[in-house]
Amino acid sequence: MSVAVRETALVGARRTTWYRAQRWLASGLTYLGLAAALVFFLGPFFWILTTSLKGNEDYFTFPPVWIPEHPSLAHYGRLFSKASGLRYFGNSLLVSTLSMFAALAVSLPTAYSIARWRFGGGFLSGVLLVLRMLPAIALIIPVYIMYKTIGLTNSYLGLIIIYTVVYVPFAVWLLVGFLRDFPAEIEEAALIDGCSRLKALIRVVVPIIAPGMAVVALFAFIATWNEFLFAVVLTGIETKTMMVLVTSYTSGGTDMFYGEASASVVLGVLPAFVVAFLLQRYLVKGLALGGTKG
Amino acid sequence: MKRFWAVAVGAAVLFGLAVMTHGPLAPRGASAARPYEGTTVRAVVNAEYVKYSLSLVEQDLYDKLGIKLETEVIPIDAFVAKTLLEFNSGKSPWDLIMFGGSNMPDYGRHFEPLENWISKLRLDFAMEDIPEVYKKLFLKHNGKIVAMPYDGDVHMLFWNKVAFERPENKKKFKAKYGYELAPPQTWKQWDDQSEFFQGWGWDGSDKKLFGAGASYKPSGGGYSYYWWRQRFFAYGGQYFDAEMKPLVNTPAGIRALEEMVRTMPNYPPGVMLFESEEPKTMLVKGDVPMLYSWTSTGKRVGNAAESVIVGKAGFGIVPGAEIDGKIVHRPALTPGRGMAVSIYSQKKEATMKVLEFISNPEQSLKIVMDPKTIMDPWRISHFRSQKFQQAFPGASEYLAAIEKTFPHVVPDPIIPGANDYQRKLSFEITEALAKRKQPKEALDAAAAEWDKITDRRGRDKQKAQWGEKMGEMKQLGIEYHADWAAKAK
Amino acid sequence: MQVSGMTVKRKHWEPLAFASPSLVLIGLVIVFPLAYAFYLSLQNFDLSIGPDYEYVGLQNYTEALFRDSRFWASVWNTAVIIAPALVAELLLGLGLALLLNRKIRGRPIITALLAIPPMVSPVMAAMAWRMMFGVKYGAINNMGLQLGLIDVYFDWFSTPFRSILAVVLVDVWHNTPFMMLVLLAGLQSIPQDLYEAARADGASAWKSFWFITLPLLKFTAAVAVMIRMIDLTKLFGLIFVLTFGGPGGATETLAFNTYLVGFNDFRMSYASALSYLIILIVLALTLVFLRLSRPRDARAAA
Repeated sequence: MSVAVRETALVGARRTTWYRAQRWLASGLTYLGLAAALVFFLGPFFWILTTSLKGNEDYFTFPPVWIPEHPSLAHYGRLFSKASGLRYFGNSLLVSTLSMFAALAVSLPTAYSIARWRFGGGFLSGVLLVLRMLPAIALIIPVYIMYKTIGLTNSYLGLIIIYTVVYVPFAVWLLVGFLRDFPAEIEEAALIDGCSRLKALIRVVVPIIAPGMAVVALFAFIATWNEFLFAVVLTGIETKTMMVLVTSYTSGGTDMFYGEASASVVLGVLPAFVVAFLLQRYLVKGLALGGTKG
Repeated sequence: MKRFWAVAVGAAVLFGLAVMTHGPLAPRGASAARPYEGTTVRAVVNAEYVKYSLSLVEQDLYDKLGIKLETEVIPIDAFVAKTLLEFNSGKSPWDLIMFGGSNMPDYGRHFEPLENWISKLRLDFAMEDIPEVYKKLFLKHNGKIVAMPYDGDVHMLFWNKVAFERPENKKKFKAKYGYELAPPQTWKQWDDQSEFFQGWGWDGSDKKLFGAGASYKPSGGGYSYYWWRQRFFAYGGQYFDAEMKPLVNTPAGIRALEEMVRTMPNYPPGVMLFESEEPKTMLVKGDVPMLYSWTSTGKRVGNAAESVIVGKAGFGIVPGAEIDGKIVHRPALTPGRGMAVSIYSQKKEATMKVLEFISNPEQSLKIVMDPKTIMDPWRISHFRSQKFQQAFPGASEYLAAIEKTFPHVVPDPIIPGANDYQRKLSFEITEALAKRKQPKEALDAAAAEWDKITDRRGRDKQKAQWGEKMGEMKQLGIEYHADWAAKAK
Repeated sequence: MQVSGMTVKRKHWEPLAFASPSLVLIGLVIVFPLAYAFYLSLQNFDLSIGPDYEYVGLQNYTEALFRDSRFWASVWNTAVIIAPALVAELLLGLGLALLLNRKIRGRPIITALLAIPPMVSPVMAAMAWRMMFGVKYGAINNMGLQLGLIDVYFDWFSTPFRSILAVVLVDVWHNTPFMMLVLLAGLQSIPQDLYEAARADGASAWKSFWFITLPLLKFTAAVAVMIRMIDLTKLFGLIFVLTFGGPGGATETLAFNTYLVGFNDFRMSYASALSYLIILIVLALTLVFLRLSRPRDARAAA
């Protein structure tokens, strides 16, 4: 072979032990760094979980008790009974689930329109992109006044409507991406067979991009579950969501109701954990595009 | 023929059944005991512990009247806003409304006057058992009584006897400051003592303890403003003059704020975020030697489950200022909680019964005796109750001290927009405490905001309302003294 | 694979019909309210005073721009929070992405675990951290005391500086994984042969990082930074729970101050004006950012 390659091979051979040591170090440091990252990013969850299981003697003490000897679910019990935690968890569940379906139902045809027919051209896509930048505060004031007039405050419907519509631009964007990824011939075949366009969409396209739709749906669920500003302004005693419940513990210091506060946080982050594990593969794509922010 | 009789008998049986269950012959047993069975009354309150306080009487309420109480908590910072927003648009999802006494001018017209219901339902609110000061300040709107007190909310002084009675402490203090160590009568003594106690184990241990307790978070309508104003009034301050010019940035206010800023190091870390409960916790755990705060502190002091100073605590009146040889005390009555029935409620009758129930001497005593409710005693019978006086060691001194405080109390500015005025002032005071502004700068900004609010609400209207309140306060002996700030000792 | 150019057969009304549900909803629930908000911003609607209002032109805007120090303070606070947060998230995210990009065991599960913080609500993140920052019983102070790092309780919210630090810290915790995932995607799209060629030429790891990785990552990073920046200008829930704007007004952000004006002071018209100012600021920031990053894109593409 060439002189250069033989040279490199010789040089490489001489460098092996040093090189391998370097690799070991790099590897070790990598794992160390990732371990530190895991501790930093997951530590708070661990602490909140253990705190929610602690009794008074474990919390109000120094030196601190990191893991309670006798963990108990008493705080959760109190959260559910005295503070109506179960009802509010149910509210969040209801609102997020319905918003998720509604967002999908509304976004899919629109995404189809844009992907297949370039409906609205770049203008519509641009508008949708701009809408994502819109600060919720600009919307909440007029929406609040409008809702008060028609009586939609403290209602599931009102919250679902606003959540759905606010998430649509983003869902459309994601779905357009998924739709563009596969050719139109398949629907065309169905159309030739006599299907209406809508039927074709439902019967043919949906099953194929079902994974994509599931991703959009789950991200929509998380985004609406996490939403705060609209919830705190528009909900009342019946329709409060988990996010609003947590704020009733910010007054009076977090020490007085530490149990209920930490228990409500645990319940409030539950969906994130569930979705993270369901969507491991799609995390980069969906999350990277900011899919969990409403 | 047979069919006729069958139908007739059937009809008679049915008719008889109907009469028996619904008519005058109906069994009265169950419905007499629970006249409102099946009714749910919805209450709104501004904190979890208020909801907890109502839960103490819920069971009895249901047993006696069959009414279920459903309570919603709106966090304190959004409470006035959210409730007034509902009321101002002519609606109310709630029947029973908790409110802060100083906001009566804004809430009053949304409350149902009690008069007619008292005669209609023969209610008894035991009015003679309510101290004058509450009757005057909290309950009336346009001359009619529209609410009942729920929480006394008077400030008084609490101290840890261990700190003040240890001989070593007394010696050290006398050596450094030149006078005897005793619970502070004036603000100067308070500041000296907070400085003295800061940073070492004045309880005989080697722990690093703190100088004094306070609440400086600007949430709800106050905290930092509540603490400031007790100095401000002692130095001769008043909210406005007769022309509605704010007086918060007069020398009295500036002196009060400067003292607070200067003595910040003597308070525990976290004081900037303290609401009502944190400093009380520090007091009962022996971390601070003294605190002036709501009377509910006393209950926590006496609660053996959490307090280490049971039987070792003193109770007195909030420090004041020495003016011309006499000490002027200006403890706060703030904000005060009352309960009222919404004028938009569909269940006024049931709610009136609820109001009567929770206000009656026996049930209200239950509420104000429980340390976790942090509701303060407000009925004369509360102060004189044998049960309360024996609830914990020192309880009778505690209750006596409350009664002694009453003649000196200073209310909030009870005019429309009270919540706005208080919030803006509290915000600026905290800005100075956080060292983002100089005291004078902060109070000038507050005064400017106050003028803005007055203009928005209508200057003449405000002047008229304030004129009335100013007169009432004058009758209590409270008025502006421009010269006090300089000569107060 | 893109289906470019080919427009499929359709009936004339179909595209519009398919898009109509979302268009109608967006029109009713977004466009109309926004227009109404603009209309409101020109009135003096103040719910604390009453339901009547009158036209006042641009008075709200002039008040905000020239007579409202609290508004300008909120602009400053928002900037002071955004700058260090963005830098920290970018650097930390890049570091983590580089680590994750290496051949390590368990990458999928580590990635999934690290990706959880951005998926929880900022409200939950703030609540958890607020309890951890608790003066007497919080994890951080307790750990510090146990490890001997501090000898007396430390208050994270006692000074403006510390409060802003706390806000930045919580936001970094909350959003760095987002940055990490975007940059990871970017890293994974860089063709490996570039690195091999560089190694063959004798380039060190550092050199190939500086001359290959960074330039090719710039576009992805720019997009991510812009998204984060826009999100940071809307910072609200985190502040609400962590500091509620305190101490004093030290952590009042643009959105938070507007919320207070609208829902504590009830000054709906003034709050609408403030909202439009925020929209303008976000637009301006985006435009500035796009301008600054465009020359770099051109060079990177070349």
